[in-house]
Amino acid sequence: MMDEIKAKIRAFIVENFLYGEDSELDDDTSFLGDGIIDSTGILELVGFLEETFEIEVDDEELLPENLDSLDNVAAYVARKI
Amino acid sequence: MPENTIQPKLCQKCVLPETFPGIKFDAAGVCSYCQKDEKTIEKAPVRKAQYRQRLDQLVKETQAEARTYDAIMAYSGGKDSSYTLKLLRDRYDLRIAALTFDNHFVSPAAYDNIKKVCDALHVDHIIFKPPWSVIKPLFALTAQTDPFAAPTLLRASSICTACIGLVKSLVLKTALEMSIPLVAFGWSPGQAPIQSGIMKTNPRLIRMNQSALKKALPVEIAASITPYLLPDQYYEKYDHKFPHNIHPLAFFDYDETAIKEELGTIGWQAPSDTDTNSSNCLLNAYANQCHIKRCSFHPYVWEIANLVRQGVMTRNEGIEKIYTEQNAEMVRYAQTRLT
Repeated sequence: MMDEIKAKIRAFIVENFLYGEDSELDDDTSFLGDGIIDSTGILELVGFLEETFEIEVDDEELLPENLDSLDNVAAYVARKI
Repeated sequence: MPENTIQPKLCQKCVLPETFPGIKFDAAGVCSYCQKDEKTIEKAPVRKAQYRQRLDQLVKETQAEARTYDAIMAYSGGKDSSYTLKLLRDRYDLRIAALTFDNHFVSPAAYDNIKKVCDALHVDHIIFKPPWSVIKPLFALTAQTDPFAAPTLLRASSICTACIGLVKSLVLKTALEMSIPLVAFGWSPGQAPIQSGIMKTNPRLIRMNQSALKKALPVEIAASITPYLLPDQYYEKYDHKFPHNIHPLAFFDYDETAIKEELGTIGWQAPSDTDTNSSNCLLNAYANQCHIKRCSFHPYVWEIANLVRQGVMTRNEGIEKIYTEQNAEMVRYAQTRLT
């Protein structure tokens, strides 16, 4: 299940932030630290997660350890669903 | 299309051009962004209503505990931030401090509007103006290069991203120092997705953002803007006091004509000294031109495309805003000052 979640998130990041080019995206690449996503992009990611996985991201969950890499996001979503 | 225009292939539904990163068109010439947005737009009325309720509730909770002001507003004097200020005063009677970041390019007409609106709405006004010796190198650099994360280029020119980075930081810093629980911005519904409409700021995410902003700049310029960013000790000192950011225009009705009419009742007038995409900044036309030259698409096209999809403006109005040449005199004015 984790692989499936990660694949969906990867596809979203690559399509929306890397313009189809996924060579620079490792599972532990920091979205904010490596400039892949900016602060507005984090909110778009949250919107995508809520829509796709039917979860609600609470304010206090907007943390780097939940949202700042493919590994972190996938683990976070797996815990929520 | 208006005269003097560039004419790339455009989406048949919105105004995004073929040069926009990642765009694809279907057989009918409709872009992938329009197709992707269909569901979101369908659900928007329900979500907007939910966010209006959330803001009503949040205001009730925070008003009870706010010591001095209920909200600080990042106030440019433009149409959207003026209307947001009015909305927050009219609907909630908030005690608001309006903070204007003077980037040395605020238009005289915008200053007239700021004075009239703050007086009419009984709002305290703060002007923050760093010296030209700090501002000039930052804007001169971002006029020439794009130092920030690639996704920022989809939504704004690098000059605007640099400027807004300072604005966001200054209002947050002031909110923390003055124990203000809400930070308001006048982002249009084209700039702010609904889910960004109300969000508790998180110290660690803010820290990462500020660090990324500094990391993108040459050492000297990064050092010169550091005093305007959040000091390291604030993240711990104010850990539990980080405010909510609110972007009310993301979830309230938005009609440009009605907004201008309503603002007219408190003395705000549409300026004639700015470009078609700004109602306060004399640097914007040059910022747009630099971005178009390097990226081959207009820095406002994402916002305007969203507004067209949402039915806030017609496609023709969007085309007029985006595909008209920048005013040469305004471009020259800013370019000369930054050279």
